[in-house]
Amino acid sequence: MLSSFLPDACCREAAAGAPGAADPLGGLAALAGTVDATAAQAVLGISLPSPTIFAQYFVFAVLLGGIYGLVALGLTMIFGVMDVINFAHGALMVVAMYTVLVFSNATGLSPFFAIPFAVVLLFVLGVLIYRSTIAPIIDAPQENQLIVTFGVLLILISGVEMAFGSDPRQLGLELGSLNISGVFVPQGQLYALVIALVALTATWLFLQRTMLGRAIRGTADNRDGAQYVGIDVPRIDALTFGIGAALAGLAGGVIPLFQSFTPALGDQYLINAFVVVVLGGLGSFPGAFVGGLIIGFIQVFGSAYLDGSSYQILIFLAFILVLLVKPEGLLGGSADE
Amino acid sequence: MSNALSRAIERYGAFRDEWYALPVLVAVSLVVLAAMPFLRQLALFGVAPLGWISLNMLIVTLVWATTAQAWNIMSGYTGQFSFGHAAFFGLGAYATILLTSTFAISPWIGMLIGSTLAGMYGLLIGALTFRYELEGHYFALATLAFAELLRYVFTNVPQLGGASGFFRPLAREYADGPGLAAFQFTGDLPYYYLILGFLTVVTVVSLAINRSQLGYYLFAIREREQAAAAIGVPTYQYKLLAVAVSAFFTAWPGAFWAMYFNTIRPTTVFELLVNVEILLPAIVGGIGTVLGPIVGALIVIPVGEFVRQSFSIPGLNNAVYGVILIAIVLYSPKGVVSWPSRFVELLRSRTDLLDDDGA
Repeated sequence: MLSSFLPDACCREAAAGAPGAADPLGGLAALAGTVDATAAQAVLGISLPSPTIFAQYFVFAVLLGGIYGLVALGLTMIFGVMDVINFAHGALMVVAMYTVLVFSNATGLSPFFAIPFAVVLLFVLGVLIYRSTIAPIIDAPQENQLIVTFGVLLILISGVEMAFGSDPRQLGLELGSLNISGVFVPQGQLYALVIALVALTATWLFLQRTMLGRAIRGTADNRDGAQYVGIDVPRIDALTFGIGAALAGLAGGVIPLFQSFTPALGDQYLINAFVVVVLGGLGSFPGAFVGGLIIGFIQVFGSAYLDGSSYQILIFLAFILVLLVKPEGLLGGSADE
Repeated sequence: MSNALSRAIERYGAFRDEWYALPVLVAVSLVVLAAMPFLRQLALFGVAPLGWISLNMLIVTLVWATTAQAWNIMSGYTGQFSFGHAAFFGLGAYATILLTSTFAISPWIGMLIGSTLAGMYGLLIGALTFRYELEGHYFALATLAFAELLRYVFTNVPQLGGASGFFRPLAREYADGPGLAAFQFTGDLPYYYLILGFLTVVTVVSLAINRSQLGYYLFAIREREQAAAAIGVPTYQYKLLAVAVSAFFTAWPGAFWAMYFNTIRPTTVFELLVNVEILLPAIVGGIGTVLGPIVGALIVIPVGEFVRQSFSIPGLNNAVYGVILIAIVLYSPKGVVSWPSRFVELLRSRTDLLDDDGA
C-alpha cells in the first residue's frame, strides 16, 4: 500500500483538482508519517530533516531518476539515429500500460509476463508507425516529422481513451516495501529500476557488439556515409524506430508496477522526458540516466520543500538554461558514446 | 474537355496571377464568414444543408483561425517554428480575467495589458533563443518549455488563481451591464461578430506584412537566413519583430476565450494540446499563406466538433485531428489552399499537351 503514496510523477491530477485536494507533498508527508511521525512534523514545518528522512528522499530520487532515464532511452535513441523528435513516445508508453493491464487481467498471470509481451507489441507498432508515417517524409523539414508524430500521439491517446475511459486504472499489485534500517524502498519502483538498468545494458551491448548495432551507430554518425558503404538506411531507421518504441513499451510496462495510470499520464512523462533527453544530450545513453537522476532529485526534493507542483518550474528553468547555454547537453554526443 | 469549363479554369488561373487576387479572396472569405450565421439557417426545400453548424461551433472555429493567423506571422512567414504559442494565448486570457475579477478593470484594458505582456514574453523568448541560435528541434522544444513554465507558474501561485483559476465576474460588477464595453453579451451572436472582428484585424495585419518590404525580409529569413543577413537584412531584429507581433495578436483570442467561456484554468489555456490547436488550422490550410489559417480552421474545427457532438465518444475529435494532421503533412504539405492552383496547373499542362498535338 505504501507504493500508492510515492511522489507521483504525474501531478496533472493535482493541478486539475481543487487546490490541496491531492498535492504531492501530502503524499510524501503521509509516507514520512509512517516512517517517523515526529520527523514528518519537522518536514511540514520546514526544518532540517532527520538523516532517515533525508535518506528516504534520496532513495526516492534515485528510483524516480532511474525511471525517467528509462523513459528517455527510446526517445534519445530515435533522435540520435534519425534526427526525429518522437512526440508519440508518451502515447506509446500509455499503450504499453494498458497492454499490461489487459494482458494480466485476461491471463491472470503476473504482470512481469505481460511486460515482455508489451515490448514485442510496441516494437511491431513502432515499425508500422515508422513505415506508414515517418518514412515518406524522413528528408522533409524537421517540423513535418514533429507534426506527424504529434498526430500519432492524438490518435493513440484517443484510441486508449475510447477503449478504457479516462479514469485512473491500476493493477492492484501489493508489492510492499523493503525496510533498510528505517528507510523504505518500495519494491515496485525497485524492480522498475532494475529493469531500466538491464535495458540500458542490453541496448548498449546490442549497439556496441553486434553488426546491426554497428550499422545503427554508423547511420547515427553519418547517414550518407552509411548509405555509401552499403547500409540499408531506411531499414535501419525502421529498426531504430521499432527499438525506440519497444523501449517506450518497456518504460510504460513497468509504470503500472508502482503507479495508477490514465491516458493523460503519457503527456506528463513525455514532457519531462524531453527535459531529461536535452539535459543529458540528445542521443546520449548515459546522458539519459544522468538527466533522469537530475530530474528525479529536483522532483522529489522539490515536492518535499516547495508547494504543490512548483518543482516543475525548477525543472523547466533548468531545461531552458541548458537549452540556451549547452544545447548539446551535459553529456552531449551521439548514440555511440 | 468542355470548352466552357476550360475557359473558366483559364480565367481563374489568370485571376490568380493578378496582384489583387489575394485581397479579393480574403475579402470574399470574410464576407462569407460575416454571413455564416444566416447561411446556416438557410433552408432549401425544407432542408438546411448547414443546419448542423452551431453558432458556438463557428465561434470556436474563428478563435482558432485567429490564433493560427497570428502564429503564421512568426512561424509561417519567418520559419521559426513555435510549439509554445499557448504561452501567449494564456497570458491574454489570464491578464483579462484576472484584472477584471480582482480589480474590476475593463476587460479591454486587460486584453491590451495581456497582449503587451505576451509581446514582451515573446521578445524574451526570441532574444534568448535567437541569441543562442537555437534551431529546428531545439527551438521548438524551447518554445514548448516556455509555455509549460507558465502553466506551472499559474498553477502554483495562489494570487494568479492557482489550479482552479478564475471565473468571469458578472458584467454589472465592473460595468453598466452586458455590452461591448463590458466584453460580455447575452446571446452568442455578438460574440461571433466580435471574434470575426479580431480575425479581420489580424488578417489585415498579416496581409499587410505579406505585401510589404517587411514581409519580403521575413520570407528571406525563412528561405535562407545567412543569405538574408549577407544582403543586409538585420535578421535578429526582424525575427524579434515577427515574434512580438505574433505573440501580441495571439493574446487577443486568448482574452476572448476567457470572456466567452466564463472560466480559465492553467490546464485549459496552457496545455500541450492548446499549442497544437493554435497551429493546426495553419498547417491544414497552408503554412505561410494569408488564407490558409482561415480555410484550415473552417475545415478542421467544424469536422472535429461535428464528430465530437454527433458520436458523443470523448477523444474521437482528437483522433480525427490526428488523422487530418498526418494526411496533410504526408500528402499535401502546402495545405488545402494550394489545391485550386495545383488543379489549374494540372489542367493547363493537359491542355498545353493537347494544343501541341494539334499543331
